[in-house]
Amino acid sequence: MSSPAIRAELISKSYHHYQVLHELSFELEAGTCYALFGPNGAGKTTLLKILATVHRPSGGRLAIMGRDAVADREAVRLQLFLIAHGSHLYDELNAVENLRFALGLRGASPADREIKLALDRVGIGAFADLKTRYFSAGMKKRLAVAKALLVRPPLLLMDEAYASLDEKGIALVNQVIRDATQSGAAVFMTTHDRAKVAEVAHRAGVLRQGTLQELPLEALTTSDALF
Amino acid sequence: MSKFIVWLRAYQGWFGAAGGLCVAGGLYLGLVTSPPDAYQGEVVRIMYLHVPLAQTSLFAYATLFICSLWYLWKRDPVIDNAAHAAAGIGVFFTAAALVTGSIWAKPTWNTWWTWDPRLVSFTVLLLILIGYLMLRMFIDEPERQARFAAILAIVGGIDLPIVKFSVEWWRTLHQPLSISPRGISYAGAMLIPLAVMAVGISLLFVYMLMVRTQMLYLKQLLEAKKGRLLSRAHL
Amino acid sequence: MRFFSAIGWIVWKDLLSELRSRESLSSMLFFALAVILIFSFSFSTDEEAVRQLIAGIMWVAFGFTAMIGLGKSFAIELQHDCLEALQINPVPKGAIYLGKLLANLLFIVSVELLLLPLFVIFFNLDILAKLPVLLVIMVSGTLGLSALGTLFSALTVQIRAREVMLPILLLPMAVPVFIGAVEATRGVLGGEPFGFYRPWIDLLLVFDVIFVVVSYWVIEFVLDA
Repeated sequence: MSSPAIRAELISKSYHHYQVLHELSFELEAGTCYALFGPNGAGKTTLLKILATVHRPSGGRLAIMGRDAVADREAVRLQLFLIAHGSHLYDELNAVENLRFALGLRGASPADREIKLALDRVGIGAFADLKTRYFSAGMKKRLAVAKALLVRPPLLLMDEAYASLDEKGIALVNQVIRDATQSGAAVFMTTHDRAKVAEVAHRAGVLRQGTLQELPLEALTTSDALF
Repeated sequence: MSKFIVWLRAYQGWFGAAGGLCVAGGLYLGLVTSPPDAYQGEVVRIMYLHVPLAQTSLFAYATLFICSLWYLWKRDPVIDNAAHAAAGIGVFFTAAALVTGSIWAKPTWNTWWTWDPRLVSFTVLLLILIGYLMLRMFIDEPERQARFAAILAIVGGIDLPIVKFSVEWWRTLHQPLSISPRGISYAGAMLIPLAVMAVGISLLFVYMLMVRTQMLYLKQLLEAKKGRLLSRAHL
Repeated sequence: MRFFSAIGWIVWKDLLSELRSRESLSSMLFFALAVILIFSFSFSTDEEAVRQLIAGIMWVAFGFTAMIGLGKSFAIELQHDCLEALQINPVPKGAIYLGKLLANLLFIVSVELLLLPLFVIFFNLDILAKLPVLLVIMVSGTLGLSALGTLFSALTVQIRAREVMLPILLLPMAVPVFIGAVEATRGVLGGEPFGFYRPWIDLLLVFDVIFVVVSYWVIEFVLDA
């Protein structure tokens, strides 16, 4: 019985003495996709960034893949990948170079063929040699998905997963989530789009005033307000 | 309310009173009863201020250095308050040391500034302290402010001896070492007021440190209460 | 092994980005050229003054160059939250520091080398025979500035008023570097025997080692929570 992908115990976070998260606790098993909803400013991105080890929690304990997210940060970071609001791309580098850098820094050197496959899979194969400065927001999102495909993390974190994407892009992201969870990875994502995430989410929750409340999956398919 | 802060409040008066008494006594001894120097005349009396001020500036930086290391190890916000306080007071003492040194130098060497290792080191010390305070001014998030400031103080503490050494070395090549404020051999009668002033000014520094640390602590406490009220209001 | 390849990737990424945008290069060359022109004009007829001051003038120009380059070092990471990506990358923060340091060193020294012919022209210097030693001095002096400058760049890039804070924090601490570099440069340009000014190069190297080690140790507190 291996440990869950995420075990959060009494996670709190304060900024400038203003408490954003109040003693959240939850667990996420491997092979599960968790969709997090909540009003703007509720702290969804803050929670996601704490899970991604960008920020340290002000209180509580966080274990990812069984390792402490504060004490064992390097080991934890090997297990996760974050698709954030910022694209994490360098303007002067083209798509292939950006991918090579991101992967090279993680100690991976994929073959040219693998890179090409990933770019084609996300639909930007034709733009491989274009500087990412000229990419649209949707293209940048797709490039981030390509990175995730090459990294194949046991825990995938996504902030506003569907933002900037057209219908095909959304379908692509859902397919990637499906493949990931089927191969045993865990996915934790924030989103506003119930209908789209209903296809892939195994669990859902709403973050409101700094506290987390689990939702029944049916809530995703009704049209009642979540908050 | 931190227990340490309560302790500070209780004992600050003793340090202030003792420091005030010593300084008053030292000034009397130094300005009234001690003899003028055989070579420098009345000007030497500024040494009774300058030397203790310089010593206390170093004491202030040492406090800043140790508190910064301690903060990075234990992450206690009160220690960070103490470090911040030490830096602020340190600026005052260092500037005063430089000014009194300059006042001594003009009639003695006929110059306001010279490439004396101590003088340059103290100027660099002052600039590092000012940089430290500016750094803190430009960071709002309390944890990050404390952490970055601690790093700066530690790097500065390692740098200062190197600065002093390199200027010393440079001077031995370019200018023979003439008398410097510390290089004077003090007549016995001068040592007592000097010692009294040194003790007095150090005690005053500790007193100021205690007061200012409490001030900074209370300021942060107030911010925290405001933050909590705001958080609760949100609900 | 991953540690060293990560350093390589960072050097590659930074140098490639700079080569393509040439943003820093233009400002660095401009400031240095302004320094050279102003001093050349001020001392054009006074050869003795030039002889005495040339080492200082050189290091004023190199100092400006380094300051601009070091500021841009971590500023490149501000685009699209790239600093965040570096933070959560499993690579140790020390590798990021060394990579940035190496990239800075290579880039700034290259620009300084570009400036040398300008010094020769405007101040009528004869440096061909002295080039190897001069290069050693330039590298160790620039390494001294970059060792602390890279650390402070990582720090100031996350705060307000970052462009003015880097020089404010760096310059007082870099006093030993300027003393050592100017004295050593004066020695070599003045034709002194190597033994005379060699101790200054030693000072620079000691400073370099101390501050690369200190910055390497401390960088994780700056780049991580």
